[in-house]
Amino acid sequence: MYTTIDGFKPGLDVNGPFNPYHPKANAFRGYNSMWLGWSKNHLTDPNQFYPGIAASWDIAPDNSSITLHLQPNNKWSDGKPVTAEDVRFSIGLAYTQGSTAYSIDPSASGVASDIEVIDDKTIKVTQSAENPSVTFVRGVMETFIVPAHVWTGVLPADFWDKLKTARGDGPEAEAAGAEITGLAEKVLTFAPPKDVSAGPFVLQRVNPGEALLVKNKNFYNAANVAPDQVKFLNYTGNEQIWNYLVAGKLDNAPFTAVPADVMKRITQTPGNGVARGFSPVAVSMAFNQSKKPYDDVHVRRGLAHLINREEVTKIASPEGGVAAATTSGMHQRATEAWLGAEAGSLEPYKVDAAKAEEEFKAAGMKKADGKWALPDGKPWKVTINAPAPFSDWVSGAKAVTSQLNEAGVDAEVVTVADYPLYLEELAAGKYDLGFWLTALGPAPYNIYQRLYGPANGWELLAGKLKHHAPGKNGNWMGSPETIDVEGLGKVNPGELAVKLNSAPEAEQKAIIGQLAKAANQDLPVIQLWDYVNTQFINTSRFTGFPKDEHDSLRLTSGVWLQLGMIKKKQ
Amino acid sequence: MSVTIMPEAGGAHATLRRNFWRGVWRVMKRKPSRLVGVVIMAGFAFMGIAGPLLYPAQLPRDTDALYAPPSWQHPFGTDFEGTDVVALVVTGSQYVLLTAVITAVITVVLGTGIGLFSGFKRGRWDTVLMRVTDMKLTIPGLPLLLVLSTVWKFSAAFEMGLVLGLLGWGGVARAVRAQTLSLRERGFIEAARGLGLSTTHIVGRELLPSMAPYIAMNALIAVTGAVYAQVGLFFLGVLPFEASNWGVMLNTAVFGGGALTTTAALPYLMAPLLAILLLTLGIVLVVDAMDEIFNPRLREE
Repeated sequence: MYTTIDGFKPGLDVNGPFNPYHPKANAFRGYNSMWLGWSKNHLTDPNQFYPGIAASWDIAPDNSSITLHLQPNNKWSDGKPVTAEDVRFSIGLAYTQGSTAYSIDPSASGVASDIEVIDDKTIKVTQSAENPSVTFVRGVMETFIVPAHVWTGVLPADFWDKLKTARGDGPEAEAAGAEITGLAEKVLTFAPPKDVSAGPFVLQRVNPGEALLVKNKNFYNAANVAPDQVKFLNYTGNEQIWNYLVAGKLDNAPFTAVPADVMKRITQTPGNGVARGFSPVAVSMAFNQSKKPYDDVHVRRGLAHLINREEVTKIASPEGGVAAATTSGMHQRATEAWLGAEAGSLEPYKVDAAKAEEEFKAAGMKKADGKWALPDGKPWKVTINAPAPFSDWVSGAKAVTSQLNEAGVDAEVVTVADYPLYLEELAAGKYDLGFWLTALGPAPYNIYQRLYGPANGWELLAGKLKHHAPGKNGNWMGSPETIDVEGLGKVNPGELAVKLNSAPEAEQKAIIGQLAKAANQDLPVIQLWDYVNTQFINTSRFTGFPKDEHDSLRLTSGVWLQLGMIKKKQ
Repeated sequence: MSVTIMPEAGGAHATLRRNFWRGVWRVMKRKPSRLVGVVIMAGFAFMGIAGPLLYPAQLPRDTDALYAPPSWQHPFGTDFEGTDVVALVVTGSQYVLLTAVITAVITVVLGTGIGLFSGFKRGRWDTVLMRVTDMKLTIPGLPLLLVLSTVWKFSAAFEMGLVLGLLGWGGVARAVRAQTLSLRERGFIEAARGLGLSTTHIVGRELLPSMAPYIAMNALIAVTGAVYAQVGLFFLGVLPFEASNWGVMLNTAVFGGGALTTTAALPYLMAPLLAILLLTLGIVLVVDAMDEIFNPRLREE
C-alpha cells in the first residue's frame, strides 16, 4: 500500500466522475488518468518527455508533426487493448474543450490540423502551418487518453467531418464550430459507469476520507509497479498534509508550503525525507501601469531598491523558495541556463535606500517629514493585493509593506477571499500592485507570455499580434507598447515574446537575452522569489524515490510508480 | 402639600442614589470575582483607547527572531515577521473593541426601540414590525456576512459594527417587546395612565427603567457576540489582512505558522485567544453583578 495525496485538488469527492475533464473527477494524474507522455520540464528543451500512453515518438525537426508509437502491450483495466483509435477519440474530446493544441481555429498558435491513424498502435498529429509554435508537441503530449469504447456516443459519428467544416470559412463553418464547442458541456458532465484505466492503477472505491486504487494488472509495465494498492488521503488545507507527514503516513507528498518549524518536525519522523528540485515558477509583484505613479519606471525601480528579497523569502517561503537574484522574468536557473555569463549583467536591484531616493526624485516624488508623497504633494499609499488563502503570499506581502513603511513609503496589504476572485479583480484592473506567478515554463514562449502576453495587452489573434490599450481586453499591466532598453534601443517586448513561438533554439537565446534585459530595466514586475520544488518522501516502506534535482520530481509520484522507479523496501 | 413634598422627594432621590451605589459596592464585595470582572473590562477599555498610543505606528520587528519563543522581552513570542505578539494584541484591540461597542449600541438602540414601540403600540404596527423582525431573524448571519465580505472590505470598525449591529437586533427586539407587553398591563403603568401622564413619560420614566438592566446585559452580551463574529470572519480569511487583527493573528498562526502541528507558533495563537477569553470572562462577571444589582429577588442579605 502506497499512500499519498492528490496535489492538484484538495478535497476528495465521493460522487466525482471518472472523467479527467471534470473539475472534481476521481481521476488521479499518473495513476488512473494518463497522458501520452510526461513532460520533463527541461530548462531549455520543452520537448523532452517520459513515456506514458506513448512508448516513443518522432518529432519532425521543425515541430510540424509528431508521430506517436503507443505502448505495444498496454491494455485498459477491462482487458481491451489501448489503440490509436482511443487516442484519436480522446483528441476529439479535447477539441470540444479547446485545450492548447486543439483549437478549432486553425490560425491559433500551435494547433493540430490533421490526425492520422497509421496503424493500430501508431498515430500522427500534424501541426497547422498557419501559426506554428514550439508548444505544439507538449500540447499533444498532454492529452488525456480515455477509452473510446466506454465514451462511445459522447461524440457524434460525423464529428471529424464537422471539425473539418468548422475549420473552413463561412456560415457553415461557424455553425459546425458552434456545434463542436456546444459538446463541451456534454463531455464535461459525462460520467462513465466505472473506472476503466490505462494507467498503472484503477480506482476501487472513494469515501470522504480516502480514495483507494488497486493495481491495473493489464498495465504494460504492471510487473514493475511496486505497490498493489495506492491510497489518496483527503485534505482541505495544508495543515492537514503537515499532520499526515508528521505522523509518517505519506510515502510521498507533492510540493506543500511548510513553515520552518513544521519542516523540522516533519523531518524528525523516521523515514521522512525531502527531495528538492527545480520548479519553473517564480512569484512577483506586478504593477498596473495605468495607475499613477506606477507608470513611471523610476518609481518601480525605486521600490525594487527598497525591497529586501532575502528577508521577504525568509519570512514568506523559507522552505520552498529562493530569493530572486534579480528580475528577468525567468527563474534564476533558467536565466543561467539560457544566458550563461550574460545573466550577470542584469541589474540586481540590491537594497539601497540612496538609490531608491534618487529614483523617486527622478520621478518627481516629494519627501516631507520622512514620508514620500506623489509629485503633486498628495499622499502616496502603496496597496499590495494578495489572495488570502495563499499564506506565503500574504506574509510576503506583509514583509514588503513593512520594509516600505520603514523606508518612508506608506504601504498596506489588502487580501481577497479566494484565488479565482483575486484573478478576476486583478484582470479587471482593480489593483495597483498584485502578486502574480511568473516564469511559468519551461517553454520560454510561455515564460514571457506572463510578462508580455495577454495580461499586458499583446494578444495573438488569427496569427496576428495585436496590442490592446491599457484597461482594455484584459490588459491590466498596461506597459507601453515599445520600451527603450539601454543597449538595445526601442523594443516591442510583445513582438519579441511571440517570436519565441517559432524561433529556432539559437535565435531563441538572443531573443531571451533581449527580453530579460527589457524586463530587468523596465520592471513590469518585481520578482520576489523563485520556487523550489520541495517534495516529501518516506523511505520506510518504499525506496527508489527520485533524488534532488531529478527531472521526474516535477511529475506526480504516479509517474514514478508507472515507470518502475519505486521499489518495495526489502 | 407639594411645597413640602418636593424637597423631601429630592432628598429621597439622593438617598436612593446613595443607597444604589452602596448596593453596588455590597454586591461587588460579596463576590470578589465581580470586582475582577470590572477590572478586566476597565483594562480592555484602557487598552482599546490608549493601547495604540503606547506603540510606534510601525511596530518594530526582528527578522532574526521569527516565531520566537516566549521571553521577558516577548511574553507571547513573536509572529511570522518577528513582531512582538503582545504589541499586536494591544494595537489590534482598538478595532475589535470599537466594532463591538458600535455593534452593541446599534443592537440595543434598534432592538429596544422597535421592541418598545411594537409592544406599547400593539395592533397593526406590532404585526408589521414583528414580521420584519421574524424575517430578519431567519437570515443566517454568517453566510450573509461571507457574501457581504466579497463586496465590502470592512476596513473601518464602524462599517463592521454597523453590519453586525444590523444583523443582531432581532432577538433584543423580540425580548423587549415581550417585556413591554407584560409590563404595560401592570398596576403602576395603569396608574400612570390614569394620572394622565404622557406616553413619553410612561415609556421613558416607567417602562424603560424597569427594563434597563435587561437591556444593559443584552448590550454586554452583544459585545461578546460581535467579538466572536468579526474574529471568526477574519480567521476565515474572508476579510482584508491587518497584521494586528486578532482574527488574522489566529489565521496566520494556524495556516501560516502551523500552530496546530508544532509548538513554534503556539504562543502567537494563544495570545489573541486569551484576550478574547479574558474579555468574555470580564463581561460574564460584570453581567452577573448587574443581574443581582437590578434584580432584588436575587439579592441575598
